[in-house]
Amino acid sequence: MESRTEKGLTDLQTRFLSEMSVLVKTADEALTEIQSHPEKTSDLLESFAEWMVGIRGTALQLGYTRVSELAELGEEIAVRSAQSDSSRALRRKSIGALWDALTTLRYAISHTEETASSEEQDILLQRLRVTLRALGGAREKVSPDQITDLLAAMRSSQ
Amino acid sequence: MTREELGVLVIEDVLLVRNQIGDLLQHFGFKNVMLCSSVGDARSLLETQAVHLVLSDWHMGPPSGVDFLREIRSNPKWKHLAFIFITAEATRDRVIEALKLGVDDYLIKPLTAEQIQNKVYGVLLKKKLLS
Repeated sequence: MESRTEKGLTDLQTRFLSEMSVLVKTADEALTEIQSHPEKTSDLLESFAEWMVGIRGTALQLGYTRVSELAELGEEIAVRSAQSDSSRALRRKSIGALWDALTTLRYAISHTEETASSEEQDILLQRLRVTLRALGGAREKVSPDQITDLLAAMRSSQ
Repeated sequence: MTREELGVLVIEDVLLVRNQIGDLLQHFGFKNVMLCSSVGDARSLLETQAVHLVLSDWHMGPPSGVDFLREIRSNPKWKHLAFIFITAEATRDRVIEALKLGVDDYLIKPLTAEQIQNKVYGVLLKKKLLS
């Protein structure tokens, strides 16, 4: 049986928190730098998205669904915002949304033992989805079955 | 070659995930599993160890997993290595990019025991690496 810390975290949760905290800190630094170097916004948003992918992939592998969902929304908003010719108002709104996402993500990573989300988190998730829709929605993804089909098509054409 | 003899190289920068994938592979009988956290370390292992299969994440580095795939497929020493991505990256453009570069299969996280049985074995059998 895994030992639990005073806070009730398992060893796995503690190690997850420790590793992900580094990525969260780096993502925080990227958003902070946008304020002082707005001319670098696109590059910094793409860096932010990279950290979100790192968090999302780890959370997926470890089964932390809420963390992976938050990280995915952060990733998509950052990428869409970096790539789009959106208005300054929409971009400012997107960066604001990313700050909210990061704060909630930090909480979710520290509280993986909580299985149900709070009403505030649900409201935030909904706001993030609305922001993403305003940016054009998430990028097209492929499913494992579609990947299998793509592989088969590629092999048969060779 | 048997599972016990095959050299499997896992490249994943997050320690927790790296260990978990290593455990899954060993559970399925792969005894020669090498774990590393970067493309740089992977290159060193490829130079010194017998590697038959690479399981790589995408987002790490630079260089990234896709940079490494490109490098492997253009290097005569390594171009025939079995290469599977294990990644959270599932955007259509990126997946197609990987397929065009010659990845043997593409697994979206989380990597499960079922995927190892179906996909990893599938690639090894297809490349006639597993007897």
